[in-house]
Amino acid sequence: MNNERNWRRTLLGIVDTVTQPLIAVLISFLLGAVVILVIGKNPLLAYGEMIRGAFGKQVYLMNTLKRATPIIMGGLAVCMAWRSGYEAMGGEGQMILGAVAAALVGYYLPVPGWLRIPAAMLAAAAAGAVYSMFSGWLFERFDVTFVISTLMLNYIANYFAAYLCNYPLRDPEANVYQMQNAQTGKLPEDVTLPPIIKGWVHWGFVIAVVAVLVTWFLFKKTSFGYKSRMGGLNPRFALYGGIDARRMLYLVMALSGVMAGLGGSFEVLGSKGRYVDQMIFSTGYAWTGMVAALLANMNPVGTLLASILLAGLAVGGSTMMLNMDIPLEVCNIIEGIITLFMSARMIRIAAGNVRRRKLAKGGGEV
Amino acid sequence: MTYLAQVINSTIREITPILLVALCAGVCSKVQVFNIALEGTLLMSAFFAFLTHYFLRNIFLSVAVSMAVAMGMTLIMSTFIVRLKGQPMIVGMALNTFARGFTTFLLSVIFKTKGAVNPSDLKGLTKFDLPVIKRIPFLSTVFGSLTVIDYLAFVLAVVMFVIMYRTVIGFRLRALGINKSAASSLGINVPRYQILATTLSGSMIGLAGCLLTLGRNAMFIQDISGARGYVALAANNLCKGHPLGAMISSALFGFTTALARSLQGTAIRQQLLQCIPYIATIAAMAFYNAYARAKANRKL
Amino acid sequence: MVFEMKHITKTYDAVVANDDVSLHLNRGEILSIVGENGAGKSTIMKILYGLEKPDSGEIIVGGKPRRFNNPSDAMAVGIGMVQQHFMLFEQMTVAENIVFKNELKNGPFMDMNRTVETVRQISERYELKIDPLMRISDCPVGLRQRVEILKILYQNAEIIIFDEPSAVLTPLEVEALLETLRGLARAGKSIVLITHKLQEVMAVSDRVYVMRQGRVVAERMAADTDIRELAMLMVGHPLASYEIDPPKPGETLLETKGLRLVENGREVLTDISLHVNAGEIVGIAGVSGNGQSELIRCITGLERSTGGQVLVCGADVTNRSVREIRNAGLAHISEDRYVWGSAPEGTLEENALMARQDDRPFSSHGIIRPSAIRSFAAKLIEDFNVKASSPSQKMRELSGGNAQKLIVAREMSLDTPVLICCEPTRGIDIGAMEAIHNRMLRRREDGAAILLVSSELTEIMSLSDRIYVIFEGRIVGEFARGSMDDRHLGLLMVGGTIEHEQ
Repeated sequence: MNNERNWRRTLLGIVDTVTQPLIAVLISFLLGAVVILVIGKNPLLAYGEMIRGAFGKQVYLMNTLKRATPIIMGGLAVCMAWRSGYEAMGGEGQMILGAVAAALVGYYLPVPGWLRIPAAMLAAAAAGAVYSMFSGWLFERFDVTFVISTLMLNYIANYFAAYLCNYPLRDPEANVYQMQNAQTGKLPEDVTLPPIIKGWVHWGFVIAVVAVLVTWFLFKKTSFGYKSRMGGLNPRFALYGGIDARRMLYLVMALSGVMAGLGGSFEVLGSKGRYVDQMIFSTGYAWTGMVAALLANMNPVGTLLASILLAGLAVGGSTMMLNMDIPLEVCNIIEGIITLFMSARMIRIAAGNVRRRKLAKGGGEV
Repeated sequence: MTYLAQVINSTIREITPILLVALCAGVCSKVQVFNIALEGTLLMSAFFAFLTHYFLRNIFLSVAVSMAVAMGMTLIMSTFIVRLKGQPMIVGMALNTFARGFTTFLLSVIFKTKGAVNPSDLKGLTKFDLPVIKRIPFLSTVFGSLTVIDYLAFVLAVVMFVIMYRTVIGFRLRALGINKSAASSLGINVPRYQILATTLSGSMIGLAGCLLTLGRNAMFIQDISGARGYVALAANNLCKGHPLGAMISSALFGFTTALARSLQGTAIRQQLLQCIPYIATIAAMAFYNAYARAKANRKL
Repeated sequence: MVFEMKHITKTYDAVVANDDVSLHLNRGEILSIVGENGAGKSTIMKILYGLEKPDSGEIIVGGKPRRFNNPSDAMAVGIGMVQQHFMLFEQMTVAENIVFKNELKNGPFMDMNRTVETVRQISERYELKIDPLMRISDCPVGLRQRVEILKILYQNAEIIIFDEPSAVLTPLEVEALLETLRGLARAGKSIVLITHKLQEVMAVSDRVYVMRQGRVVAERMAADTDIRELAMLMVGHPLASYEIDPPKPGETLLETKGLRLVENGREVLTDISLHVNAGEIVGIAGVSGNGQSELIRCITGLERSTGGQVLVCGADVTNRSVREIRNAGLAHISEDRYVWGSAPEGTLEENALMARQDDRPFSSHGIIRPSAIRSFAAKLIEDFNVKASSPSQKMRELSGGNAQKLIVAREMSLDTPVLICCEPTRGIDIGAMEAIHNRMLRRREDGAAILLVSSELTEIMSLSDRIYVIFEGRIVGEFARGSMDDRHLGLLMVGGTIEHEQ
């Protein structure tokens, strides 16, 4: 009987974790459909285009996976920090600095190309980690809350990167008269992450998947994972049990920054081949990653899947925009609504009400 | 001399939107509703103020719509946090994402652009010249081309102080923010108070939104809120939710922004100047906390 | 008769909290309801105050049957309750706290002059002296309770319920409280006192109900009974007392030398020197809030001390990390099981692992072994008879007593030479309490040095071989078993002797 109850508990748990995202996704697509209807388009056709444009052909699918790569890394950064109770939102800034660092090292480091790739990734990881640990330091030393410090640091990073690619690191071959965002020099062919097979997504995606597995392993199988989870559930309990809170803070923030920084480097090394002003800020990779982590309830593997779905939403959205003249931002609207409805514990609350009502009834009969 | 007057004038204009948003943030923090949807709310209300004005050419209606939109956003925010027990940070980020998407979406549907809309024939809010001061050279520049809402912002700060610290309703709001269960044990419907208070205070963000799009000329630029919502959150954090303190902390951020702008054209690059307000925000919070901690340690 | 409750029954899930309880209260009377933790006395009063709804039964107040959906309904017919946990607004003044919800207005504004005046009047009428403009955060516990009482009087309550009012008070404050109760009764208020402290019951009550396992088992006039009889009725059997062998004192395992702590410019601990030997239970007696928590936090590394030394098994561990101190041979049952002692949202396995996360066989080179953890958690659950359905269930799903047993199991299984027990049995039922006490005594037999901190004087007196008395962060007395009497001890706990009584 005991076993049966456990089994039921697990089943209920699964239902609980799966239904919430499903309902959130459903509601948001319904509301998205309303928006599409209002501007006089057929939502079914639009969504059809979207799905086709995201997953319909190999090229499309590869585009989706390419876009998913930085999102996954941003999501992992959030999983890492939030699971330990540090509600930091600095993924964006860390990703920007990571991207700039990768562009810088990839372009200027005087070593052979094959060596520059790992060097660039290393630099990106370091940049992300340092920036992330800086917000940790502000928190530990000055009690500056993560929300405010990380939001501010995101803007600072973006403007700083804009300065760098406009002036010291500006592409020497750029046409000054061309109206376009400033950018750094184009990386040589041998300093870009090659596709896995010709026509496939670049190796960055593979590294991202490996990062997902590593994160999963860290969470589930290591004492680091245990310590970070306990710190998140009850920091005082962790302290009482001899877990060094300070060390964990910096370790967790560093790892989180490494993830975000690497995500930025993949965008440079695998996709654009350079840092272009606003390239991380305007695409909102870090925010989408945060939504993905949230949809997955901070589960790394779930974050991977959610990231691919959300990337599909954006990639499919551009197809939809091209073929049906519907603005791409429908996807942001949908993303926002999904997040909003994921935040509420509606299902758990509804279930709680049912349970309470049942109890009240049962109690009355006793 | 004129230059100084201009800097002060531009400082005031930078302060007022932040102050209005910070006043709303103050109410929210006093009733323990953590609101980071400020940014998205500001963006939405700014956009709708512009939109209404563009189509209806009626400034009063624009202000009204803007306030209504801001209250609507705040109502959603507080309902999700208070009634549906949503995680405040996530609710706020969701609304910010939504606002960014929604405004850009409408911008491209209606105006077929994703940058700026700046119709030359559209006038902004009426400028309000103070009777005597407009004759005095220096002061006329300092208080030049300010709108009614700019003045209203400072009046509202005082009004909010009176409401929060002198009236019965303000007393109840502060009390329930201190101890929710104590308030509800005396039969106060805490969620209702929280939602009502935050929603009503949201109207002030609506005023701030009007200032952004209709303050000088009527125009809308994508992401026009430009992190002012977050800065206001920091300002509120610094003054611990006190409306009069909000004037000072908003002034700090308004000043740094105006400073950054006035330094444009000097040897320092624009992009680096743009970092100043954000760096100042972090620095101010760090210094303030360090000071508060030192004071607590010194106290005997 | 001011109120009557007839045949009230209340169940939570499978637990019957109140089983066909009937009772009544007369005007101007002080009625006590006594019983052990979990006997159902708080539940019945929560029902009367509208905090809980009965499954069946009837409440009659002022001659009419009533239905209370919330405390406001109860207050509307003149019932007020002084809860065990005070419901006050810390940063506000006494007067503001008292008038909340029934403010004195001047248009939309607060009429502060009239508020202060009114509060002053009430405080004078009932002889409950207080400064209306004092901030709650500056009030000691006794004054806070007074604010709660004034709050209820301000709302013109005729029936006042006190839920364990003396639990948090110093003996002097208790005296004042009892005097207040008598005064209120003289002024015509009807009073219900919920407590398990029988001396107080005998000192003030007119009539007593005894509850056990959710039922009223006896009703007595206070004049016709005594503490012994009430105690028997409460427990249902004669009280067990522990048979303790004389100590076999060994070497000193835990020692503090001149420990000091200054917090926010205030001296919290002053020159604390104590020692605990092997095979000995040493108690720290004191009214809570006199530095016990800080002392333990300094010893265990949760807080940095300002001066002095801490030695565990001879090693100087002053201001070392928690981990180093634990490794030096110390385990620690913390004072609040959900604040420090566990992660309520974590599983039992995760809670059982704490403090061993880097030790074999649970983890090696940073990799954890779930199977080892699982069987270890299962073993703790079985050994300490924790009522749980599975090691993977959440900690918060356990009852308070069972959660505490798991924490005790975890810390005792560390088998360290030094064991610190803070409030090891607070708020749990007799069964779990006896189990934990027996374990402590067994560890003592095995030669452990145990430091026991408890606000229950009886617990300290029955278990300790030696007792230190702490007052305002100082050790003010030390006694060996048998050489102490509770009167003298009680006096020392409140600062004792003449200079403090003035």
